[in-house]
Amino acid sequence: MKPSDSVVGKYKGAFVALDIQINEKEPQVYSLALKGEINTETYALLADQLKNIVPKAKAIIMDMAQVTYISSMGLSTFFRAKIELEARAATIALINVQPSVQLVFDSTKFMGPQLFATLEQADEYLDKFLDGVQKGRIKPKIRPS
Amino acid sequence: MSQENIFTLYEKLPTNLKQINPFLDRVFDQLAAHIKDAEQLFKVKLALEEALTNAMRHGNGLKASRKVTVRIAWGDGQIHLDVSDEGKGFNPRTVPDPTQIGYAENIPGGRGIFLMQKMMDRVEFYDGGRGIRMVKKIL
Ligand SMILES: Nc1ncnc2c1ncn2[C@@H]1O[C@H](COP(=O)(O)OP(=O)(O)OP(=O)(O)O)[C@@H](O)[C@H]1O
Ligand SMILES: [Mg+2]
Repeated sequence: MKPSDSVVGKYKGAFVALDIQINEKEPQVYSLALKGEINTETYALLADQLKNIVPKAKAIIMDMAQVTYISSMGLSTFFRAKIELEARAATIALINVQPSVQLVFDSTKFMGPQLFATLEQADEYLDKFLDGVQKGRIKPKIRPS
Repeated sequence: MSQENIFTLYEKLPTNLKQINPFLDRVFDQLAAHIKDAEQLFKVKLALEEALTNAMRHGNGLKASRKVTVRIAWGDGQIHLDVSDEGKGFNPRTVPDPTQIGYAENIPGGRGIFLMQKMMDRVEFYDGGRGIRMVKKIL
């Protein structure tokens, strides 16, 4: 748990949508920048975008710098993407997770996507990961059904 | 306890997942006038969102004609949330702990009730799981 002053909760009267910017950094390596709340209403926007990307991605990096809130529907969306990616020896990483979202991850001991403080750290992880896949060290993950 | 330290709400919402967040925005806008601690508000909002989502999805089976009853009361340094649905109920004791080995790394869902328990001080089900009551101290 984080100290109390670290949560950046803000309540706006207006409807807060989820804005998703997608960029294919390299072939099959996507970076997504998210802005807003990932909640019961907006998770479907993210799930829709992931539906297109996940089946073809080798790696996905999500920049969470502007995500202020996540509920369980958001956690499930990340988890489903991770499971589907790992089944094909692909991966997903999150960067810049804000304290309010980190609080939700921590309190559920969430074992979803890898978390990194900076893009550099995520890139370093991805380089190693993609190298591992190419050399056959990293294999598709088979989960109990 | 002075008058302005009291906030109460009683509403029946139609079952519609898309109405949950606009409802929460409206309610928490008002609550923010009473409760200044952003982290506490965040936690209460999350707990309420989880309860409403469960009531509509699992309780009311997403049937629009079924209602979800919401009661909120704040005053005296405590917030009370009460959410009930028109479904079949369930046995909360049969819900697995989502942090246990085997679950945590493999199962995408099933974190809502756990989250509510983490966010609030007390969580109890009533009426065979059709209702949930939660309390949190906010100083
Ligand atoms: N109001 C309800 N009526 C009937 N069953 C319920 C109700 N609330 C919860 N449940 C049952 O308890 C289970 C666990 O609920 P919980 O909120 O923890 O997870 P979930 O809703 O399945 O997934 P998540 O909340 O992580 O999106 C549900 O799958 C459902 O079977
Ligand atoms: Mg739930």
